[in-house]
Parts: sequence; structure tokens; C-alpha cells
Amino acid sequence: MQHRVKTLGVAVALVALATPVAAQGQATRPDGQPDVQGAWRPILAGTHSLDPAKSGAADFQERITGVVKPNPSRIVDPPDGHIPYQPWAAALRKNLEAVYENPTRPEHLDTQTRCFVSGSPRLYYFPTFRILQPPGQVVFVFEEYHAFRVVPLDGRPRIGADIKLWMGDGRGRWEGNTLVIETTNLKAKARLDVVGDFFTDNARIVERFIFVDPKTLTYEATITDEKVFTRPWTLRVDIRRMPDEEFLEWACTEGERDAVHSSSGINGPGAP
Amino acid sequence: MTRAGLLLVAAALSLIPPPVNAQTKGIPRTPDGKPDLSGLWQAFGTANDNLLSHSASKDVPAGLGVVEGDEIPYRPEMLARKQENFANRATRDTEARCFLPGVPRITYMGFPFQIVQMPDTTTILYEYVHAIRYIYTNGTAHPRGPIEWWMGDSRGRWEGDTLVVDVVHFTPNTWFDRTGNFHSEALHVVERYRLMDADTINYEATIEDQKVFTRPWTMRMLLYRRKEPNIQLLDYDCYAFEWEKYYPYPGL
Repeated sequence: MQHRVKTLGVAVALVALATPVAAQGQATRPDGQPDVQGAWRPILAGTHSLDPAKSGAADFQERITGVVKPNPSRIVDPPDGHIPYQPWAAALRKNLEAVYENPTRPEHLDTQTRCFVSGSPRLYYFPTFRILQPPGQVVFVFEEYHAFRVVPLDGRPRIGADIKLWMGDGRGRWEGNTLVIETTNLKAKARLDVVGDFFTDNARIVERFIFVDPKTLTYEATITDEKVFTRPWTLRVDIRRMPDEEFLEWACTEGERDAVHSSSGINGPGAP
Repeated sequence: MTRAGLLLVAAALSLIPPPVNAQTKGIPRTPDGKPDLSGLWQAFGTANDNLLSHSASKDVPAGLGVVEGDEIPYRPEMLARKQENFANRATRDTEARCFLPGVPRITYMGFPFQIVQMPDTTTILYEYVHAIRYIYTNGTAHPRGPIEWWMGDSRGRWEGDTLVVDVVHFTPNTWFDRTGNFHSEALHVVERYRLMDADTINYEATIEDQKVFTRPWTMRMLLYRRKEPNIQLLDYDCYAFEWEKYYPYPGL
């Protein structure tokens, strides 16, 4: 009998490990995930720059009015709020910041302007997105760029290292009300903001979606890339729930993808 | 009854479509009893090369065609444009120009897609240029037009075990295949998704466009479940220039 109780105890412990533990009062999906379906949007949405957190519209307004708002950096680690670039990488990024307004070469144009899929983490500090939770998966669909991301929760093996994806290859798990996604296989062709922050396809991201309450989500992404940074660093975005309205079609079209038509000053392939 | 007579009766019976409310057995269902279309699917065949029957050509296998009656009923005055499209297909096909391919073409581009079925909305995620469709099954009507969307506006309803999707509000800028079969902004598509068994969807799309065709016409094909272990969507992108060498920075 004692043996049987012990076995039962082990079984209960195993079930507890395998099943996400939702906080009291939190609705759950049929597969046991905390139910976080619905639309979400960053409170301060915009990808002009991470440090300080600023949207393109805010940057434009600052340049017109000359009044600079003291927005904090999105970077919460290192404590100084700056991305810990290696010197060569910091130089690249600094050069781009000087020319993004008046591009003269194809690479001066921000990747979002070209309609690339911005991927993680950039898509979590710009548009509204919706979370869907079919059994065993978390699916993100983004209102803009017709981008989506499917994250399996079943612990399946990684895809081959030579496959590079705009959204990377994420593997997720629930830790209570926090969704943890570890992402590799990043294409890393899109940048992190207009002023040129970047990583390479060597990068790995660990994201933590902390569902604080039914209306509040704290997003944290820790980025490691030994080729570019001196140490891993973390950014944070405060996100709130939105009314669950229909997303309209948002198609980036050819003219925007085409270097020649994006700026008359660009001396790119096919330029007149 | 003679043996030939029996065969005739059997043949006649097989032509009778199953009643709308007939329940298909052995298919996955959602908790509310609807057929569950969720999962990864793919159309195989040459519909994107040519909807009609065709002989093989370089890199294109021969195909039996997917259009009922093997004929697309163009208005006489529209045939010239079809022929002009064909002559200029290398540059004029919106596939070559990286646009979203529209409906129903996205279904048979030859890439896998994932259906995420929820009670109010069925979302379809396509590997091809990461297109997304939202099929609202919550009883809402199409928004008032005119609207010109690449993928149209999709409203679905269940007729027995068949998901029937009404799609309107298209741009006139997409084609049905690589041979230049085309439509106008008046295009109206009715799609029917019906699970024949757990791993096969019978897919039909009825095309109506009074500006271009003399009558509605229907294409039909099967969608097959991708059953490989750990199957998942990957990326297929289409961009107009050699972006890879410029980003995130040249040389990286």
C-alpha cells in the first residue's frame, strides 16, 4: 500500500511538471495553457529607436518642435540602458544613425520600410498582435506586415541549423503565467529599429511573456550574440490588452520593397 | 434485375451527392461538434501552372486540369486580354512581382499552410509569402465596399460538415494561374472545405465575375494533410531586389 501511495505521489508530481500551472482565477485553455487569447499592443508603440524608446512619429515631432521628451531606454540590462556593442558594431550602428534620414545607399533604408518581416523582438514593440492558442501551440498574428509566428510547446527537436527564418525557430513552455520562448535559427536580416540596432544570424533570444493580469503583459527579450555584443542584454516592453477587433489587410507592396522607388537619392541596383 | 441493370443503378446512386446534413464519420471534430480543419495542409498538382488540362513543358508536369468541364467561360471580348497576359506572363504575372496571390490561388501555390480553427474565426497561415487570412464564422457580414484587398474579405458559415467561405472585395491585380487567367475587382469566390476523411479535404472554389465570365465556374482539388513528424511551416519570401547582401549590414 505504501508503495502504491508513493507511486501515486510520483505520478502527481509528473503531471504537475507537465501541465502549465495557471494562477488562481486565470482561465485556462482545454490543453491546460493559461488563456491569454486576444489582441495586445505595446503601450509605447514604435520602432524608431530602442535607446531611448521612441516611435517614428515622436522623432518627427521632436525634430519639428525641438522639444526632446525624456523617454527611458527599452534596455533594462545592462543597467546603463545601452546595448553592449563591440566597438566595430557600435561604429556601424553610429554611421547609420547619421544617414537614415537622407539615404544614399540601399542599406541606409530601414528594413521595416522595405516590408521585411521584422521578427522577434521588433514586432513586439510596434504593431497590435493577436494571440491564438490551439492545442499545444501559441500562435502570434501581427496586424502589420502580415507576419505570423507559430511556437510549439511540445518540446520537439530544433530544425536544422542551416534553416534561417524571419521569426526564428521558437520553442515555448509555460512557467506559471509566464510564457518562455527560446529562439534560434534567426535570419537576422531585419534590424531592431530605424536607427540601425542589429544582431546577426548567430543570435539567440530568450523571451519571457509575463502575463501580470488579464490586461497587462510584460515582454522581456534577452539577446545573446557573441559576434556583436560584449555580453547578453535584455529589453523590456509594457503591453496592454486591446479590444478584439478585426485586423484589416496590411499588404506591403512592390513599390515599397523596391530600392529605386524608395528614395531618389539611392544609388542602388537598377537606379537610373 | 440484370447485372447490367444493377451496375446502372449503382452508377446512378454514386452520382447523387450526400445530403448536406450527412455527418462524415471518422473525422476530427471541435468541442462544438464542427469538423476540425486544424493542421498543416497542402495541395499537390499543377493548378498554379495551368488550371486547365495541359501537356508537360519544361519544369512543369502534365496535368488533368482542376476546372469543371475543363473550360473557363470568358466573355468573348475578354479573351484577347487572356492571350495578351499569356504572352507577357514572365513579367506581368503577379507571382513574378511578389504580390499577395489572392484567393483561391494562395491555396494551390504548392506550399503548405496551417489552419487554426476557433469558434468565431478560422485563421489560415500560409508559408507562401507568409500570407494570412481571417475567415470570420461569427455571423458577421462583409464590410461595405468598395474595398480592394489582395486576399479579399472572407466570411464563413457551416453547411452541415462543409465550411463555406464567401470572399469578396478583391483587387483586379491578381491572376488565377501562370497562364494569365484573370478576373476583375468584381470577383466573388465561394470556397467549400469538406473533410472527406481525417487527412483529406475536398476543396472547391466557385468563381463569379460578371465583368469577365459569362457564368460562374468551379475548380476542385484535394488538400492533403502533411503528416510528417514535427512538420512545421518555414519561410518562402519574394522580394524585388537582392536584399540579402545589404542587411543587416553589407558583409554580415
